[in-house]
Amino acid sequence: MLRFIAKRLLWMVPSLIVVSFLAFVLIQLPPGDFVTTYIATLAASNEVVDQNTAADLRVRFGLDQPMIVQYFKWISGIVLRGDFGLSFEWQQPVSDLIWERMALTLVLTFSTLLATWGIALPIGVFSAVKKYSIGDYIVTFFSFLGLAIPSFLLALVLMYVAAVEFGQEVGGLFSEQYVTAPWSIGKVIDLLQHLWIPVIILAVSGTASLIRVMRANMLDELNKPYVTTARAKGLSEFHLLVKYPLRLALNPFISTISWLLPNLVSGSIIVAIVLSLPTAGPLLLQSLMSQDMYLAGAFVLLICTLTLIGSLISDILLALVDPRIRLE
Amino acid sequence: MSRDTEHGPRLRPGLDRRDMLKGLAGATALSALPDMAFAQAAKEAPALAKLAAEGKLPPLAERISGNPLVITVEKVGRYGGSLRRGLRGSSDHNGILRMVGNQGLVRWNLAFTAVLPNVADKWEVNADSTEFTFHLRKGMKWSDGKPFTADDVVFSIEDCAKNTELYKSAPSPIVIDNKAGTATRIDETTVKFTFASPYALFLEMMATPLGQHPTLFAKHYCSQFHPKYNPGVAELVKAANLSDWGTLFRNKCGDIEIPSRWGNADKPTLDPWVIKEPYTGGATRVVMERNPYFWQVDTAGNQLPYIDRLSFSISQDVESLMLDAISGRLDIQERHLDTLQNKPTLSQNMQKGGYRLIELVSSSSQQVQIYLNMTHKDAKMREMFANKEFRKALSLGMDRKEIIDLVYLGQSQPHQTGPRPGHPWYHAGLSEQFTSHDPAQANAILDKLGYAKKDANGIRLRPDGQRIFFAIDVIPTLYPDEVDALELVKRHWAEIGVDIKVNTIERALYYTRGDNNDHDAAVWPGPGGLDPMLDPRDYFAQHTQGSRYAIPWAQWYVSGGKDGQEPPEGQKQRMKLFDQARATADLEKRAALMKHVFDLTAEAFETIGICLAVNAFGICKNNLQNVPQKYPNAWTWPNPGPALPQQFFFAT
Repeated sequence: MLRFIAKRLLWMVPSLIVVSFLAFVLIQLPPGDFVTTYIATLAASNEVVDQNTAADLRVRFGLDQPMIVQYFKWISGIVLRGDFGLSFEWQQPVSDLIWERMALTLVLTFSTLLATWGIALPIGVFSAVKKYSIGDYIVTFFSFLGLAIPSFLLALVLMYVAAVEFGQEVGGLFSEQYVTAPWSIGKVIDLLQHLWIPVIILAVSGTASLIRVMRANMLDELNKPYVTTARAKGLSEFHLLVKYPLRLALNPFISTISWLLPNLVSGSIIVAIVLSLPTAGPLLLQSLMSQDMYLAGAFVLLICTLTLIGSLISDILLALVDPRIRLE
Repeated sequence: MSRDTEHGPRLRPGLDRRDMLKGLAGATALSALPDMAFAQAAKEAPALAKLAAEGKLPPLAERISGNPLVITVEKVGRYGGSLRRGLRGSSDHNGILRMVGNQGLVRWNLAFTAVLPNVADKWEVNADSTEFTFHLRKGMKWSDGKPFTADDVVFSIEDCAKNTELYKSAPSPIVIDNKAGTATRIDETTVKFTFASPYALFLEMMATPLGQHPTLFAKHYCSQFHPKYNPGVAELVKAANLSDWGTLFRNKCGDIEIPSRWGNADKPTLDPWVIKEPYTGGATRVVMERNPYFWQVDTAGNQLPYIDRLSFSISQDVESLMLDAISGRLDIQERHLDTLQNKPTLSQNMQKGGYRLIELVSSSSQQVQIYLNMTHKDAKMREMFANKEFRKALSLGMDRKEIIDLVYLGQSQPHQTGPRPGHPWYHAGLSEQFTSHDPAQANAILDKLGYAKKDANGIRLRPDGQRIFFAIDVIPTLYPDEVDALELVKRHWAEIGVDIKVNTIERALYYTRGDNNDHDAAVWPGPGGLDPMLDPRDYFAQHTQGSRYAIPWAQWYVSGGKDGQEPPEGQKQRMKLFDQARATADLEKRAALMKHVFDLTAEAFETIGICLAVNAFGICKNNLQNVPQKYPNAWTWPNPGPALPQQFFFAT
């Protein structure tokens, strides 16, 4: 097991190098560069950049150099000095910008995960055990509805209703007075009061698909001979369910952990934008749109690293949970 | 004492556009208070009075100069309140600049016709417009209470703007004939700008946002990041984990239009409100609070601003900004909301949101300007586009009335480029030529040009057998109305046998294609309607990104003949005339020179315009007072800044 982990960790190094290069190339692929986008953004409000300044910017940011030179400047900064560079747009170190938002993203993603699993697992099991009952149909109907509604639309509708009908503010994660306040009990409570809205919106679609997955997996397991055997030996129905079929049906959940970590950064971007949540997603999108290379590159690198770590974790967990899987 | 009145130094006698801008809040009443009584008589916001009484702040008389700028207000306001506005998440720093950061040496009047005293109390210009002597206000202070003097202006220009490590080339508002001017200290409150060539437009340039460098950097604060004044700056750079002192300087002191200008709460400014919660990459809102040292008072001697603080919420999404607007959570906003398709929604919800609409007079000339690339890389295309008769046929071939009715709801009129109707420089020949819909004449011209043969679809063929076809670049996310207008033009032109493709592309690609001279044609709203001197890009090839009918010619002009392509004689003549006009202080003479430019532009007929730029609008809460009902909408008049938000107030 330890050897397996060590080997996987070693493989990550070349993967990351390849990925970082690809990320850098991809970010550069769209026409123009940061300065073009900057000029275009200002022009959208009929604003003008001094023509002397625009030419200056390119030189100052090193955008006049070949891409390979820019890449090596960037990656050597990260490898040698742990320096992710300076965001062009904000003239702030990239690392400051990223970590600032990661904590809240973590809170949001894990709350959503807990909510999704908390709702989806029991319902999925229920609708598998009571297959084709009225309860199953009702649950199925709502889960399809949840699956069909795009979460950004749900967010917009909720915001509209709240704003126009109740005069309430829905966006953001904090009330006015807590936005920049230091952490305190009051701020945590305030966060919890705001958190449930995005959590529900994000959980709706996730729950729906998980219910379907859970139901299908359970149905597969329920007819297996070992279930019949266990039942014949007189195990109580609840005990039986939890001990064997449920455990096996959890496999897909564990495999999804590898997607879960990158989702910390890139998931729920649209909802976060609509609701003005101070999470990492909107910053990532914004940096890609403005071709703020170092900031976007750092995000992409972070996402890739998280994917690699996530798949390692899910492999390890799978091996622990499912005795049928062997690493050797 | 200077007054915001007709009696300020007038730059354009006889050029008043008051008729056009009727309804603008008048600025006529005069203050009767004698000069020195002001500092004593002045009153201040209750919160500041309390701080002063507790000894945490010097008394008001010591904070504002004995010679504050007196703003003639429509109504004397009351202190208090928080003004809410919206910003977008990315590159929206100018949204803050337009509201507060307009404190240059001079400023525009409301009608956008004359330059008024601002930081400079008065000034003198020598006969040939090469020397400008500005008199600053005695005893004026930065927002941290340190004195503002001529040294600050000299530092900003000589040590910063002209420092090649900070700016590779000096900012263009202080440059004429490729040479930067010089700022010299005469005494503590007098500073002189000297230019190698006549530069009569300098005062107007100083009133625009890009002309703010002289008052941008506080010497006592910013010099600590400058190697000339602080030999230990390298350690500061290292401690901040940055690469060079220029980056550190920008990080701390900002520049005119970059986000970091609003990212440092410690930086002293001359603005009415100062940063409390900065605009940074992670921010969800920006908060500014009143500057206790602000140097303007109203006619009753109350220190401005009236409003305690500004709160900018940052939305990533314009739709959520719309929601804020209709639910009444924005106090004044035109930015991002002012598109035509938003107007019905905003009008319907006026009562619910408790706001009124204000009218923004477009400073542009053209709503949709079509630029055929007359320097096209393909010789055949170039020959076709460069032919004036061809462009004339295209102009006569479109039905402007239909476009105006269908796309602009009838709110415009056929118009080529040129100063707007009502502008003293309005040029009928330029603006009205070839605007009738005359397909018969268009067809006749095209036949005569040798494009008589048609293919099976009725599209004309060039002598070399190719169809007459070209693509027009347009950015749908930015100007959806232009796409609609072009679709109609496509139909009109199909009737005279010309085929186009409405090429909807992303905005960075649009710019890249222009920079590389790869485009067949492009559209853009044509500027220069109210500010023909400040943005003449459609009158001759002047702007290396904007003069899209011949970008290489503009490069030739800007580089002084080193880059780009040499333009034809008519262009060179206009470039020379414009340079002369820019150096001419006498407005009669300047007008005559510009008329000559317009004559030549009309004669050359390079751009094809559709209709006059439509006025925009904004929302303003009903209880927000002293907001003019109508004001210009421009970057060179960075609305609402010159309408002086510091004298807006909330009625109870």
